[in-house]
Amino acid sequence: MNEHTPSFQRPFDDALKGLGTDPIPAGVYYDPDWYRLEVEAIFRRTWLNVGHVCELPEPGSFFRCELEFANASLIVARGRDGAIRAFHNVCTHRGTQLVGAARGKAATFSCPYHRWTFGNDGQLLSAPDFERFYIDDKASCNLAEASVDVCAGLIFVNLDRRPRQCLREFLGPMGEMIETLPVSRASAWDEYVYEIDANWKVTFDNFQENYHLRFIHKRTNGAPPLETTENPYNYPMGFELFGPHRMNTSPGGSVLDDPPKPLLLQLLGRMAAQFAEEGLTGGAHDRDYFIFFPNLYVFGNPSMHFTHAVLPLSAERSRGVFRFYWNGEPSGARAHLARELALAFAREIHTEDGDVLMKGQKGIGSGALDHFHFQSQEVMCRHLYHSVDRMVRDYLSEKGGAR
Amino acid sequence: MSAARLLPNGFAPLEPFVAFWAADTLSGRDTCRLDSSEEQRLAFYGAAADLAGQAWDYLDGKPLADYGAEDRRLLYLMLSLVHVALAVEVQRDGEAEHASGARRMPITHCHTDPV
Repeated sequence: MNEHTPSFQRPFDDALKGLGTDPIPAGVYYDPDWYRLEVEAIFRRTWLNVGHVCELPEPGSFFRCELEFANASLIVARGRDGAIRAFHNVCTHRGTQLVGAARGKAATFSCPYHRWTFGNDGQLLSAPDFERFYIDDKASCNLAEASVDVCAGLIFVNLDRRPRQCLREFLGPMGEMIETLPVSRASAWDEYVYEIDANWKVTFDNFQENYHLRFIHKRTNGAPPLETTENPYNYPMGFELFGPHRMNTSPGGSVLDDPPKPLLLQLLGRMAAQFAEEGLTGGAHDRDYFIFFPNLYVFGNPSMHFTHAVLPLSAERSRGVFRFYWNGEPSGARAHLARELALAFAREIHTEDGDVLMKGQKGIGSGALDHFHFQSQEVMCRHLYHSVDRMVRDYLSEKGGAR
Repeated sequence: MSAARLLPNGFAPLEPFVAFWAADTLSGRDTCRLDSSEEQRLAFYGAAADLAGQAWDYLDGKPLADYGAEDRRLLYLMLSLVHVALAVEVQRDGEAEHASGARRMPITHCHTDPV
């Protein structure tokens, strides 16, 4: 450790050292052929968060979920038996999409084309003039299922009908940790969404390094003179890796009153008092930022208790979905204020990232660079790169071995 | 004869701001901020910032279920002021640039919106 290493920077252990220090090949952040490999090797056979059980409060509740990377549309529904299932939104007669609504409640899903009708458990219930088909086993016409499971209230789907790992095994120890967070008890959510001209990893990496904070978020995060603080870049207090997943511990932060922000500080004070009164603060993971492979963040901070999923749309486009989860309706005006301010302040910060992400993709996508660089405090980005690279190479060798 | 009162007693100075700012949904309040002129934001902030503590104390003093129309308008007005505080105190002269970024990140669901 050299004498300039500040105390916030945990010495890297062997696991982090194993990631190396080499420059990163730029092509994997824009090359369409590599993107298609990522879709096959990762997104078509990995658990992906698509929602929360609070969206399916009763039997018959459903929501539709678009996974453009696979040209897939899923219906995630709670059946009469209370079980949550995920089906392809595809009639088994001739493939017509069944459901156009984003969400709702339905005992059955009927195809608009020839009125084949399915139960919310996916079974084919009726099909007009079915005797004229050459089908012996009606059950073979049930809706095609995707795998689905729940952790911490979060619904994950896997397009692989026979996942190589069950969800809990895949999420590992971090899965147990997020079960202690308020999200696991949530009954309501707020959401904001963006689509951006940036590769999913370019987008995702932005949210797993703090190096950019004092430049891009100087208004919301503050940028005190470098010499006035021990941690002027707001680097995490530490990092930890769990297989392909990772987490870091936020150094915390405060809204600087320079220039003066008298009203905002007053409102933040009311918000903090409210969350403390609700017992949301003081948990073991208040500062922990859980980063699940391939594309999900869960922030334990009670005043920014969000999930953020980044879905690939193409080699150079992605969509991010931020969700804030709450337990119950606001108990009073201050609770309403606290929830609105928590979301608005987080979105204030996240809004500041869009422009520079698109500029980053333009530069990377130009092909001008063969490689780019991650510093030691961008180790989470490096870990994502390595995890993706390993899974694509594993996929290619499996495919090669199968021939 | 005076017009019907829009806000609870003590908040009359904020009545001119009700029509524009007292949106009943989160995305509506966000849109008010993003669509407003700097002049509109500064006028609302100037009139409301000093009354905000009093207004939140008043609103906290009764259960949401007991709110009348005047109380609800004051609540929505004060929630709009949250967004205006971010524009005026945080973004300042960068608000126009911020607004174009915020429009690319729309609020798509809010559990407190009236059904």
